Amino acid sequence: MTFRGILSAVAGFALLVFCWRFAEIHPGVLLRPATAAALWSFVRRLFPPDLAPEFLRTVMRAAAQTMATALAGTLLSLTIALPLGVLATGTLWNRGVLVAAGDRFGVGWMASRLARTILGFLRAVPDLLWALLFVAAVGLGSLAGTLALAVAYSGVLGRVYADVFEHVDTQPLEALQSTGATRMQIFLRGVWPQALPHLMAYTLYSFECCVRAAAVLGFVGAGGIGYEISISMRLFEYGQVLTLLLVFLVLLTLTDAASRYLRDRFVSRATSARETRAEGSSSRWLLTSKSRRLVGWTAVLSFTVASFALAGFAPETLLQAGIAGRLSGFVRRMFPLDLSWAFVSSLGTALLQTIAISLIGTLIGMAFAVVLAVPATSTLTFVRSDSPGKHGVTDRALRWLRFWSARLVLNILRSIPELVWVLICILAVGIGPFAGTIALGLHTAGVLGKLYAETMEEVPHRPVEALRSLGASPMQVLLWAIWPQARPLLSSYTVLRWETNLRASTILGLVGGGGLGQVIYNNVQLGFYPRLTTLILIIYALVLASDWIGERLRLHVA
Amino acid sequence: MIYSLQSVGRFFQQRREQVQALKGVTLQIRPGEQVALLGQSGAGKTTLFRLLNGTLRPTAGSLFFDGHDTVSLNGSGLRAMRRRVGTIYQQHNLVPSLTALENTLCGALGRMSLLGTLRGMLQPAKADSELALHALELVGLADKRTARADELSGGQQQRLAAARVLMQSPDVILADEPTASLDPELAETMTSLLAGLARDSRKTLIMAVHKVDLATRYFARVVGLRAGGVAFDVPQSEVQGDLLNNLYARDGKSPGDRDGDYSQYKFRCAR
Repeated sequence: MTFRGILSAVAGFALLVFCWRFAEIHPGVLLRPATAAALWSFVRRLFPPDLAPEFLRTVMRAAAQTMATALAGTLLSLTIALPLGVLATGTLWNRGVLVAAGDRFGVGWMASRLARTILGFLRAVPDLLWALLFVAAVGLGSLAGTLALAVAYSGVLGRVYADVFEHVDTQPLEALQSTGATRMQIFLRGVWPQALPHLMAYTLYSFECCVRAAAVLGFVGAGGIGYEISISMRLFEYGQVLTLLLVFLVLLTLTDAASRYLRDRFVSRATSARETRAEGSSSRWLLTSKSRRLVGWTAVLSFTVASFALAGFAPETLLQAGIAGRLSGFVRRMFPLDLSWAFVSSLGTALLQTIAISLIGTLIGMAFAVVLAVPATSTLTFVRSDSPGKHGVTDRALRWLRFWSARLVLNILRSIPELVWVLICILAVGIGPFAGTIALGLHTAGVLGKLYAETMEEVPHRPVEALRSLGASPMQVLLWAIWPQARPLLSSYTVLRWETNLRASTILGLVGGGGLGQVIYNNVQLGFYPRLTTLILIIYALVLASDWIGERLRLHVA
Repeated sequence: MIYSLQSVGRFFQQRREQVQALKGVTLQIRPGEQVALLGQSGAGKTTLFRLLNGTLRPTAGSLFFDGHDTVSLNGSGLRAMRRRVGTIYQQHNLVPSLTALENTLCGALGRMSLLGTLRGMLQPAKADSELALHALELVGLADKRTARADELSGGQQQRLAAARVLMQSPDVILADEPTASLDPELAETMTSLLAGLARDSRKTLIMAVHKVDLATRYFARVVGLRAGGVAFDVPQSEVQGDLLNNLYARDGKSPGDRDGDYSQYKFRCAR
C-alpha cells in the first residue's frame, strides 16, 4: 500500500470517528428491548388503517389540497423560472455566435451572472425551509406551501431551462442572425422551438417532484397530507397515519402515470410537430378537433383556477388580508441579520452535526442499498428461460420471491419521505441526530438501491455472458463483470445522493432529527427572524461547498 | 463422443415472427477432433456456438455433452459443463474496465471459490497470476498486462480473449471467427496457435473461419453451414469447388443477421 493510500485511509477513519461522535450514534439503543417494544407497538397500531367516513373526508380534502398545491406551485414556478432562465442563458447574452466581441462583459453579462446567482440561491435553500418562512410570513395553510414550491422549484427549473437553451443547435440561429433578425426574434424563432419538447419534459418531471414535496411541506404547517400525518402522529393515531401514507402512495402512482401519459402524448408530438400538422390540415375531422381543443382548454383553465383556489389563492386573502404587505413586512423583520459572536459561535455543533448526519446517513444507505440491490437485479437473480439445464418450479418460485420482496422493500423505503422516517425513528431512539441519521439512511437505501439495481441491469451484457459461459457463478459474475463496468456510475450516483442528503439533513431537525434544523425551528418559534437570515446564509454556503466537493469527487471516481 | 447433436433446431422470437436460426442439425464430434466451420454470415454459426457452450437451449432436438443431456443438467452440473468449454467470441466479450491480466484471470473463475474470487480482486493467488502471465506470453501480450482491455486494439483484444481461454484450460475450445478482425498474417498466427495448442494437449477445437484456405490447411474435418442446416460434413481432402460454390451462393434468404439475434436476448430473463 502506498503512503498516499495509508494517509487517506487514516483520514477516512478519523472522519468516520468524528462523524460517529457528532451524529450521536448509539447502536446499543437499537438492541434494547424497549426499542423493539416501541417499534412493535407502533407497527401493531398501524393496523387496521382508519377508514371511518368522516376521517376519509378529511383525507380526501387533504389529498385534493396537496395536488392543488403541487399544480399551482408548478405553474407559478414556471412563470418565475422562464424569465430568469432566459436571462441566465449565457449563449444569448455573453458568449457564442449571437454576441459581438465587444459585448462580452457588458450589461448582458451582468444580468446573466445575476440571474444565475439568484437561481442558485433559490435552489440551495431546501423547500421545507422556504415553507417554514412562508408559514411564518403568511400564516398556516396551503398558500404558504404553494409559494414555497413556487420559489424553491423555480430555482431548479430556471437552471434546467437555461441549460436547455444553451444546448440548442446554433446553426439555425446563425442563419436567422444573417437575415438581420433581432435577438428577441432569434430567441422566439430559433431557440424556443428547439427547446420546447425538453422544457415540457422537465416541467412534467418537476411537477412529479412537487407532488412529493407538497405532501411533505405540511409537516411545517403548509397544509395537505403532510399536515394531517404530523397531527395524527402527535395524537398517536397510527391507523390514520397508515391511511394517509397509503393515499400518498396512490397519489404518487397516479401522478407518475399521468405524467408518463402526458410526456408520451405531448413531448413526442412536439418533436414530430410537422407531421401532425400536415395530417391535421388534410383531415376531415378538422372542425371536431377544433371544438375538442376548445373543450380541452376550457377544462384545463377551470382545473387551474380550481387548484389555485384550493391552494389558498382566494381573492379575499390576496386583496383584503394584503399578502404583499405581510410578505414585505416579514422580509423587513428578517434584517439586519444577526452576526453577533455569541449566536454564530453557538452554531458550530449544529453545523458539524448536520455534516455528520449526512455522511453517516449516506453510508448506512449505501450499505443497505448494496445488500438489497443484488437480489433486486433481474440479470443476477433470474436464470434466462432459454438457457439449458433444468428449471425447477420451486427454484423459480424462490428466485421470483427473492426479486420481488427486495423490490418491494426498496419501494417502501423510497416512497416514505425522510421526515416520516424521522418521526418513526424518534419512536425507537428518541429525539436527536441519531434518529435523523437512521431516517436519512433508510430513505437513501431505497433511492440508491433502486438506482444500483437498474445500473447493474443495464451494464453491457456481452462480458457477462462470456463469464457465465466459462462457468462463473452469479456472485463471480457480479464481482468480475458487473461491478467493474458499473463502478463509475454507481460512485457518481452515491456522491450526488450525498449532496442531496446534506441539503436534507439541514431540515431533519424541524421534526426532531437534530442538526441545524433544530436551531432553525427554535428560532422560528421564538420569532428571532434576524437569526433565521444568518442560518439561511449558512445553509447557502454549505450547499455551495458541497456542490464544489461533490464535483471534485465525481471527477475523481468517474 | 464429446458432442452429440440430434436434429437440433433453434428459433428466435423476433417481435411477432419466428426466425429459424438452426434446423435439423445432426453432428457427432469426438474428443480431440478439430473441426472448421464454414458458412455465410447469418448461416447460424454463432447460434450453434451458443448452443454448444451451454448459453442457449435448443428449441428442438437434443444436445448431449459428454453423455449428458444439456437440458436436464442442474445448476452445478451446468456450471461444470461450462467450465469444460471455453469460448472465444466474435466481439471478444472482455470486461472493458479490467486490465489484460485481470481479464485473463477471469478464465479461472470456474475453479475459484467465492473467497478466492474476493481475494483475487485485490491480490490474486501466486499460482493463478503466474498461469495468467504465461497465457499472456503465449499470445504475445505480456507487455500489455496492466493495460485496460478497452485501451487495446482490436487484434490485441482478440488475442486477450484467447489468453482467457488458455487460462480456463477447457476440454473444448469454441472459436467464433476469432480471426475476422485480424490482418491476414495475424489471422494465420492465431489459427495455427489454436490448432497447435489443441493438437498438443488433445483438446477438441471447433472454429468458425471466414477463409477456406485456413480451414483446409489446419483442420482435418470441415463442416459447412447454410441457412441454419448442415450443408456438408467432410474430411479436409474432399472440400472442393462446387461444395463451396453451393455454400456461398447468394439466394438472399439468410435467417436474420447475428446482431439482431443477439440483441433481443440481452435482458430477457425467466421471470
